[in-house]
Amino acid sequence: MSSPYQRLAALLVVGALGLGPSAAAADTVTIGLAQSITGGSPALYGIEQKNAAELAVDEANAAKLLGDRKIQLVHLDDGADRGQTVNVFQRLIGRDKVVAIIGPTLSTGAFAADPIAQKAGVPVVAASNTASGVTDIGDYIFRVSPPEDRVTPGVLKTVVDRFKVKRVAQIYGIDDQLTKSAYNTQKKALEALGVEIVATETFQRGDVEFAAQLTKIKAAQPDLIVLGSLAEESAGILRQARQLGIPKEVVFVGTQSSISSKFFELAGPAAEGLIAGTAWYIDSPEPKNQEFVKKYEARFGRKPDIYSAYGYDAASLVINAIKEAGSGDRKAVRDNLAKTKNFPGVLGPIGFDAGREPVIDPKILVASGGRFVIFK
Amino acid sequence: MSVFLQQTVNGLSLGSAYAVFAVGFTLLFGVLNVLNLAQGAVFMVGAFTGLELVRLVELPLPLAFLVAMVTAGAVSVLTQVAVFGPLERRGGHRWMGLIASLAVARLLVAIAQEVFGTQVLRYPSEPWMEASWTIAGVQIQGLQLIVLATALLVMAALAVLLRATQTGRAIRTMAFNPNVARLVGVPVQRMTLLTYFIAGALAGAAGVQLGVLYNAVSPFMGETILLKGLTVLILGGLGHVPGAALAGLLLGLTEVYSVGYLSSSFRDAVGFGLVFIILLVRPHGLFGLTTRQRA
Amino acid sequence: MSEWLASYENVVALVLLNGILGIAAYLMLIVNRFSLATGGLMAIGAYVSVLATMNFGVPFALTLVLGGVTAAVMALLLGAPVLRIEGDYFALATLAFTEIVRIIALNWESVTGGALGIVGIPTETQIWQLALALAALTAAVFAVHRSAAGRVLAAIRGDEMAAAAIGIDVARARLLTFVASGAICGVAGAFAGHLNFFIGPSDFGMIRSIDAIVYAVFGGLGGVLGPVVGALVYTVLPEMLRFSAQAREILLSLVIILAVLFMPRGLISLNLPLRRWLPRRRGQRGKLAAGQGVAAE
Repeated sequence: MSSPYQRLAALLVVGALGLGPSAAAADTVTIGLAQSITGGSPALYGIEQKNAAELAVDEANAAKLLGDRKIQLVHLDDGADRGQTVNVFQRLIGRDKVVAIIGPTLSTGAFAADPIAQKAGVPVVAASNTASGVTDIGDYIFRVSPPEDRVTPGVLKTVVDRFKVKRVAQIYGIDDQLTKSAYNTQKKALEALGVEIVATETFQRGDVEFAAQLTKIKAAQPDLIVLGSLAEESAGILRQARQLGIPKEVVFVGTQSSISSKFFELAGPAAEGLIAGTAWYIDSPEPKNQEFVKKYEARFGRKPDIYSAYGYDAASLVINAIKEAGSGDRKAVRDNLAKTKNFPGVLGPIGFDAGREPVIDPKILVASGGRFVIFK
Repeated sequence: MSVFLQQTVNGLSLGSAYAVFAVGFTLLFGVLNVLNLAQGAVFMVGAFTGLELVRLVELPLPLAFLVAMVTAGAVSVLTQVAVFGPLERRGGHRWMGLIASLAVARLLVAIAQEVFGTQVLRYPSEPWMEASWTIAGVQIQGLQLIVLATALLVMAALAVLLRATQTGRAIRTMAFNPNVARLVGVPVQRMTLLTYFIAGALAGAAGVQLGVLYNAVSPFMGETILLKGLTVLILGGLGHVPGAALAGLLLGLTEVYSVGYLSSSFRDAVGFGLVFIILLVRPHGLFGLTTRQRA
Repeated sequence: MSEWLASYENVVALVLLNGILGIAAYLMLIVNRFSLATGGLMAIGAYVSVLATMNFGVPFALTLVLGGVTAAVMALLLGAPVLRIEGDYFALATLAFTEIVRIIALNWESVTGGALGIVGIPTETQIWQLALALAALTAAVFAVHRSAAGRVLAAIRGDEMAAAAIGIDVARARLLTFVASGAICGVAGAFAGHLNFFIGPSDFGMIRSIDAIVYAVFGGLGGVLGPVVGALVYTVLPEMLRFSAQAREILLSLVIILAVLFMPRGLISLNLPLRRWLPRRRGQRGKLAAGQGVAAE
């Protein structure tokens, strides 16, 4: 057994390596990637964004999009802990001197860390923050993932009109900002449509048991059930709803997060008929999309989901802004991001509006035969 | 009325899985005075083992169930041999053991994440999984019956082991007083390992049960069950095996009823509120065992 | 240097904050109560102080006091019935408390914002404030240890029944300690609330409580520096291990397990000669082994 001194010394050396200045080659442009890859369910969409960003950067480097300069992507994991998100941002900005940051995964992390980037003048492009108010933090904060209030009201209006819905039940995750803000938006839209909300049930992150809530909902006899849940939860709810015998005529509407192959895998035949509004789906005929899907699957061994798409476009937009700016100047990159209109992305022609929200064309999809197709 | 019955059925099947987990948990405590927070991770290991055996090796579920139990038990023993045993020998006190168990849990989850990814995995679709019967307006799923049946089997086996065998007597003597056990010749080290094995196997069994019932297996599933397990432990009395079984059922029913008749947002608050109130009235849990003093 | 500070400012702040929390947990551990109420009490301090600053324009220093006092009152209300519960049962009762507070925060949207939390909080907390608070707290606890009150605490830790037999009001001493610990948690909560622009219910749950205990136990319960060192190492470790993104979690858990195995009495039990220069309780060495052994039950 080594002496305490040796152990302490070893620990300090390792630590110093970790805390020392990082060496970036002279001809590189560094982009920061703040995504959660550990820490529970946020890791599910953090990993997708990370993978997609890496894909975009590698492609850009291979195609020499920035001429002789190489793009270096520095990823730091915040463990879905917002205190760490702040640490990560400070480190990326101060130590790694990034030109821009893609992320963070969670909206709560964004509220805590984005102000720091804003103050330091580092542009941030988020690919999975859907809570309202994120872009209000400042003019350096951009978003590729459309907030729920851009997508949901349209979907609900279409569904209510088409199916002559009178009674609605809602079930949502109370402790996750994505699902909670989705619920708020859905509720507002439903109230505006004048339908009767006959039941409201909640669940918590990590829950897989919905029988109790669904039994209550079934008793209230709704025509439509609106889900404020992530893909795995939506799948679980649908499966158990069918198992409990909720009638086939009842329509289900889900959030953007349901747009993933994972959803079909987990829900099985119960997935049939789920309606969701989104900016992207895997069969989208956009030319860049088909290429992206193939490359993503080839490299990562599974199909991309909606967060992969958002992450890819976020990275592409940042790279494009750097190219347009012609330098690694943070303000120039920010200005170019703000000017972006009709950039050919996986999501279709994409750009930012005056509020730095994404300008996209939301579509309404329905799950049919194991994939999402346009709802007619 | 049928809603009440439906909720009862839901609650019983959920509760029986809780019971299986909690019994292993409480056994470790009762026999070895160890609050092992790595049990949640062992539960998760069992769930993954069962899943992968069915998915990749295409083993029939009953066999996968048994193998998963054995694997989880083995992992539990490994943690004893590698971490908890040495810690105790080096003079670590109980609270340090708690920290160690947290780190072990974290390690197991991290490894599972590396190996299986963060995604939720599911059992391949089989017709028998969708089976259900409707009796008096109540839907009973085949899966729920399977969970109930296996829970009963497992606990019956445990009861037989503890009450009717030499080994069981040895374990119960250790629970009573480890020094007395040593004096009467109980092979304490071997029994310790066996207790860890049984606790692990039970956690693994619960893992497969809940994994099958909800058709969702993820590296993070152990965290929730740990909290429920602790709640059950208190309700049933630390170290009290039949108490844990009953309390498990009770918690399952309480959770389901509170969602059904109160509000789903406060489901966990009801469970914790119950714990709180019971402890105020009976500071040693429902079945009133005192915290052991080790001589 | 200032560049380094800019990159790690939040880490430093967290180290100081966690040191404060560690001491709060330590105070309860040395009277044989494994308290997981830290998170809940912190939450109360945080929300009260944040609401005071944002809705009523109360100056920051005053909100620190407000947070501390509110949490202390809650600790008093909680402690009176709960402290007589022993050992692991007590731990779980306090855990239940913390979780109930979290669930209330999650549901009481009009006040706490629910899961979406409170946004745009003025970041009043500065590193010098935290450093000052930690230093003051450490000095205070050290002073207490050397005083008559300290001897009462040591007596309770050593042998509760004997202490009662010589006339010490064990229950009262414990309650006072719990209230003090609660006040500390409340102030820490107020600091935490004004650190990162944002707070939400999940910031103050079970994990926060367990982390506080880890700082104290991992660091060592031999003296007030234990929790401080424990907080330092435990907070900095994940940052130091960032060189390996993939295996970071695995490495982190392994390091902790190894540290626990090699230093089963906590980090400060390392017999570095440095210890000779560090302040500690009188006659600590002999008492340390006995104190920890019995106290740990």
